[in-house]
Amino acid sequence: MATKQANKQAITLKGSTVLVTEFFKYAVNTILFQREVYPSDDFHMVKKYGQTVLVTQDPNVENYLEKILSQVQKWLLTGSVTQLVLAIISKDTRIPLERWVFDIKLVAEEEGSGGDDSKKPKQPKPDTEIQSEIRAILKQIISMVTYLPVIQEPTVFNILAYTNDSAEVPAGEWNDSDPLAIEASKSQQVKMRSFSTDHHRIEAMVSYRFDE
Amino acid sequence: MQPKTPSRMRARSEVKTPITPALYNAMNQMSMASPTKKRSKSKTRTERFDMSNPFISATAASHSRPASPTKKPSHADLGRQAASGVIKKGDIESSRRMMDVVASKEPAQKPELKRSKSTPSRAGFDQSDRFITTRDMEKDVVAGFEKMHIQPQTASPGHTARLADATGVPLNRRILSFHEPPPAASSDKGLALQRDHAKPLYASRPNSIATSTGAVSSKSRKISSQPERVLSAVNLMDDFYLNLVSWSSQNTVAVALGQSTYIWYAETGDVSALADAPEGLYPSSVEMSNDGAYVGIGLCNGDVQLYDVESGQRMRNMTGHQGQVACLSWSEHILTSGCADGSIWHHDVRIGKHKVMELLGHTGEVCGLKWRSDGELLASGGNDNVVNVWDGRLGDVGENAQGKAKWVKRNHTAAVKALAWCPWQPSLLATGGGTNDATMHIWNVNTGARVHSQKTPAQISTLQWSPHKKEILSTHGYPTNAIMVHAYPSMERVAEIRDAHDSRVLFSCVSPAGDVVLTGGGDESLKFWKIWEAPSAAGKKKKSALEFDDRTLNTTRSGVMSIR
Repeated sequence: MATKQANKQAITLKGSTVLVTEFFKYAVNTILFQREVYPSDDFHMVKKYGQTVLVTQDPNVENYLEKILSQVQKWLLTGSVTQLVLAIISKDTRIPLERWVFDIKLVAEEEGSGGDDSKKPKQPKPDTEIQSEIRAILKQIISMVTYLPVIQEPTVFNILAYTNDSAEVPAGEWNDSDPLAIEASKSQQVKMRSFSTDHHRIEAMVSYRFDE
Repeated sequence: MQPKTPSRMRARSEVKTPITPALYNAMNQMSMASPTKKRSKSKTRTERFDMSNPFISATAASHSRPASPTKKPSHADLGRQAASGVIKKGDIESSRRMMDVVASKEPAQKPELKRSKSTPSRAGFDQSDRFITTRDMEKDVVAGFEKMHIQPQTASPGHTARLADATGVPLNRRILSFHEPPPAASSDKGLALQRDHAKPLYASRPNSIATSTGAVSSKSRKISSQPERVLSAVNLMDDFYLNLVSWSSQNTVAVALGQSTYIWYAETGDVSALADAPEGLYPSSVEMSNDGAYVGIGLCNGDVQLYDVESGQRMRNMTGHQGQVACLSWSEHILTSGCADGSIWHHDVRIGKHKVMELLGHTGEVCGLKWRSDGELLASGGNDNVVNVWDGRLGDVGENAQGKAKWVKRNHTAAVKALAWCPWQPSLLATGGGTNDATMHIWNVNTGARVHSQKTPAQISTLQWSPHKKEILSTHGYPTNAIMVHAYPSMERVAEIRDAHDSRVLFSCVSPAGDVVLTGGGDESLKFWKIWEAPSAAGKKKKSALEFDDRTLNTTRSGVMSIR
């Protein structure tokens, strides 16, 4: 869907939202696979963004992510979500081990703040460029495995959405949460690549627990 | 008051405060990165101090507001607010930190601060706003601080103040998580089961001891990792459940290759073809009698044949079994056979009605069968993961006589093919399980107690006690394809020969002298390994018990030769 809209060279806010949401889906799946939150044979290969991406086929996890992402998509449309965090937590001790942070910025806002690199909606960013940026992030996530500490214990994940106060929160489904932060003295952070559509700019970062 | 100019504040923080990426990020989100912005914000807040709380004002403030002449009230209010918010949350420590920050910077404000500290509720009341609930604010202030990784050791007072100053921005954000926890892994039971089954197939090779190449003894003894001799055994069947190699006390080896059975003479290296199975059939087990004069051959159709080694003639053909006879064991004139249908028969080879007793105790194929050397007990292991020990005494014999198991053990979690009676302590029986189990148990047969257990890296195909040493040898399948020697009773690994065969090691037998072990593998070869020393002639009691000590294997021979 997003691709079609992008091909029309006039990516709408809605199209951009779909694209960003889709990116989250594959990014989250890639992280869950790479960090072995779920057994690797729960995943199957899917061609996406011109590369193979591993996506979970456990229906429970699929539904769970679907529920989260559909809400995130709504927030994206209203521009009320500013950050999405995938926290990987030790199953037994509940200590956060890794935080994969995706900052979401509205490009329009940046223009207001005077960034001269932000493109005007009149000159839409080509779809291929967006895709190659997404591909770069996903590849980066995969390559992270080489230097992230090996997690020995069983883990679970949690997705946090940082929204602003005006965001409409479906009652009972989303609750205020602890930020699941890692103590600064024990954490290392790596900034990853970013990608942008005409409406959103996603910046990725990972911080992980690193005890000497 | 003069030191409190914004420019001074900035300079201080730049020098003293290490800005972590997280902080920097947080600052970015607050659009606080540029000093000018910050200044304007703090100014606006100052102006609004009296009417409402700064958290609201910060968000609502426009940058065009004129600068206020004084900064004092801003910090006072800030300290009070932070104190009240944090205290309510119960984190006294951080509240004190906040207060100290302001106090140290603004001595003039001390009285006011003290008041707020002593009466936090009043301070909370002061700043309450009818548009924003108190609960939300407290939560977010604290959450904001936590997110920014405030560390009393690393953050300078100025920096902390600045962050506190900026709490207006995180305030209008919420951290939300989905109400239900993520589903647990492997919620699919079938998948979990499959995973469990497939696990051994993906087993990683465990670390070898000492050096990774070949066998190294942990003691002073060294065991060669190279076989003394290799015989190519074309058509040796690669089937875990069969027993195709037997080494007799006469130092002859019976081995079934494909349809045919051969006798290999260890002294001379000669080979003679003994028998061919009938068309379409193949031997599934061979076993030499205790005196080495006869060979029992179990066929895949259930027949048990008896051959005279010397003349090479078939003595008799005992029919009756309904399935493949995968294991045989001799005790004097009794040839016991284990069948694929789970039944075990005693055949008296001397009499016409050869079936003298039936032992029913397995629901799966019987794949391991061993008489104790004194003929009093018989151990059997099956594909149903059960180990049975039977009383060997035959009381009332006859076609319909049935024996009862002396005891039954269900500890193994895979097929039990490997069975071995200890030659020097009759009460010990060693059993080893297959792929899913890979565990060796050693039992005291008198009491039925499990004496030792030893986990191994791979399926156990056979076990052999050393006749002269307190050691037990085990042979393994994928992934190590190893021969291992364990000390008894410590169960310490004495030696391990990795990749003894190119494929899994399936069969093994010990030479009558007790020094050489013959193994047969899935790679269609037979290998001879010098594992133990034959006891020296001088004063060893055990040696005299061996009748055939003069017929030790001629170990000077080496090299690869074909058995045909």
